[in-house]
Amino acid sequence: MALITYSKAINQALEEELRRDQDVILYGQDVAEWGGIFKVTDGLFEKFGPDRVFNSPISENVMVGAGVGAAMMGLRPVVELQFADFIFTAGDEVFFKAGMWRFMHGGAFKIPLVVRCPSGGSGFGPEHSACPEAFVMHAPGLLCAVPSTPEDAKGLLKTAIRMDNPVMYFEHKLLYAMRGEVPDGDYTTPFGKAVVRRQGDAVTIVAWQEMLRRSLAAADRLSKDGIEVEIVDPRTLNPFDRETIIESVKKTGACLVVEEAYRTLGVGAEIGAMLAEHALPYLDKPFKRLAIPDVPLPTSPQLVDAVVPSVDAIYKAVKDLVG
Amino acid sequence: MDNTKLLNVYKTSVLARRFEARVIQMAMAGEMPPSLHAGAGQEVCQTAAIAALNPEDYILYGHRGIAYMIARGTSLSAILADMAGKVGGTNNGKGGVMHVVDVPHGILGESGTLGGGFVMSVGVGMALKRKMPGRVVVYFFGDGTSNRGTFHESLNWATVQRLPCIYFCENNGFAVSVRTSASTSVQNIADRAAGYGIPGVVVDGTDPVAVYEVMEKAVERARAGQGPTLIEAKVTRLLGHYLADQQTYRPDAATILTTKDPLPKFQESLLRVGILTNALVKQIEDDAQRQIDEAVATVNAAPLLAPEAALQDLYA
Ligand SMILES: Cc1ncc(C[n+]2csc(CCOP(=O)(O)OP(=O)(O)O)c2C)c(N)n1
Repeated sequence: MALITYSKAINQALEEELRRDQDVILYGQDVAEWGGIFKVTDGLFEKFGPDRVFNSPISENVMVGAGVGAAMMGLRPVVELQFADFIFTAGDEVFFKAGMWRFMHGGAFKIPLVVRCPSGGSGFGPEHSACPEAFVMHAPGLLCAVPSTPEDAKGLLKTAIRMDNPVMYFEHKLLYAMRGEVPDGDYTTPFGKAVVRRQGDAVTIVAWQEMLRRSLAAADRLSKDGIEVEIVDPRTLNPFDRETIIESVKKTGACLVVEEAYRTLGVGAEIGAMLAEHALPYLDKPFKRLAIPDVPLPTSPQLVDAVVPSVDAIYKAVKDLVG
Repeated sequence: MDNTKLLNVYKTSVLARRFEARVIQMAMAGEMPPSLHAGAGQEVCQTAAIAALNPEDYILYGHRGIAYMIARGTSLSAILADMAGKVGGTNNGKGGVMHVVDVPHGILGESGTLGGGFVMSVGVGMALKRKMPGRVVVYFFGDGTSNRGTFHESLNWATVQRLPCIYFCENNGFAVSVRTSASTSVQNIADRAAGYGIPGVVVDGTDPVAVYEVMEKAVERARAGQGPTLIEAKVTRLLGHYLADQQTYRPDAATILTTKDPLPKFQESLLRVGILTNALVKQIEDDAQRQIDEAVATVNAAPLLAPEAALQDLYA
């Protein structure tokens, strides 16, 4: 085990996969000599050269669309968008080309594409701070990873690169500097397997990335009040592990989803609907969500704090639930 | 272009024209969805351009007709089955005639959103350069499609990375009902090549030899690693945008059928130089008819796709 940052974990996954498979290429704006806007790709250009690691023009449509075209011809492109929000700049290419090209051509192609999307980290304003994974979860054909720890960041990215389907990989900007233990050697983390980050019996909290970190902090405080929450980290949103959540809800009888995204039709809405369909008998409290109240993310920190779920808000929501 | 190739272009154009006419007839009779955008008038151009490629090269095409696939060697019955939603097609009911795909014949598919082929071509070009050097990819698109932003992003990218991509615009003067002159800032789409520092060539799309020759140059340039060429062929769309299009925006819609059809002109020129004879003309027509009848019979006998197909093919 080594203690490394989330950012370094991503960098290691990229380096190991670039080394393992000649078909892996990595491109995006500033990713070469400069190491990327968040320095995640530092040193890779020097190790693999301009054929494998290169800067792209500011052309998001081609960045993703060419990734699909290259993937269907046998390369394994990893594309770095500078901000996750730009999946909408490349909307056709993400949702139609990546998500549907194989389907609409009757399965003639495999699309082993990974699009890395630095998300969240409010403060960058409405077009540079979003966590748009719910849009991806809604779209057929796109797998979706939301790693919350350095270990998962590395393991899920390695899995994503080896997969034959397009993966939207959301890396949270506030987690880049987070440190954590990462196994030595080659390992991968499976898609579609949630993990219980903390055990408890009072309430099931479903959260990932920065909201997971805040939920864990809230859980420590709740514990001092004698309330033990169970926290489930889904790790991937497509495929989505319902069973782990349902199993947890069987134990706790209550569910709170905390997400750093718009409330309406967010991931929480899907989880609520899923529980209503499959687990209603186990819920003895109303299903609850904490999310951004359907406004774009503002820029000023005090305004951001007013809309993004905080440790306090999570603490209070659980207190209200167990009331 | 040698005589054999030229004669092949003629044969393929005739086959595409007659096949399309049969498809239109069947669609009008309600025997299949009327989803085709007829390519009549543009087949000679499409076929001549494809004649300049090797079998190992690739194409991404637009929605205008089915000559592309026929020229590459896709079977008529597969194309027809795609249109009819029958077993035996290329895309298992997912894409109809819009997404005919045939990888062994180098047909990589179509983007339903116009101009999606630009971005795809760049990726194909990146893969060819690294994994299959010497091969090229051609993207066929309309004049209206050249106004998509993807045109700019892709031509810039393909040029700066010297990718083996060829951009082939079929300018038929219309995007549905809108005249090119009303929507487009330049007189020739090929003029836009100057913005990327690549060759931009205008060619008469009714002249197969001329089309072949400009394509040959573009292919040579791409194979040599010198990057893309933008070709613009001036063509005539003989029929409506889609099958039920009344073309009220086009006062000469009836007369162009006789005055602007490149196929009789092509035939005459081949007769004049003796590549064709009257007997051969008849044989080619009969042969086309036979192939079409066979394809129709095959597809008529084929079962409809099972509804379960709707749930297949999404993930690998
Ligand atoms: C992005 C997008 N916009 C609009 C359409 C609808 N549409 C399909 S074909 C067409 C006209 C295309 O004109 P052009 O590129 O000149 O080709 P032509 O039909 O003349 O062959 C339009 C507007 C579409 N499929 N995709």
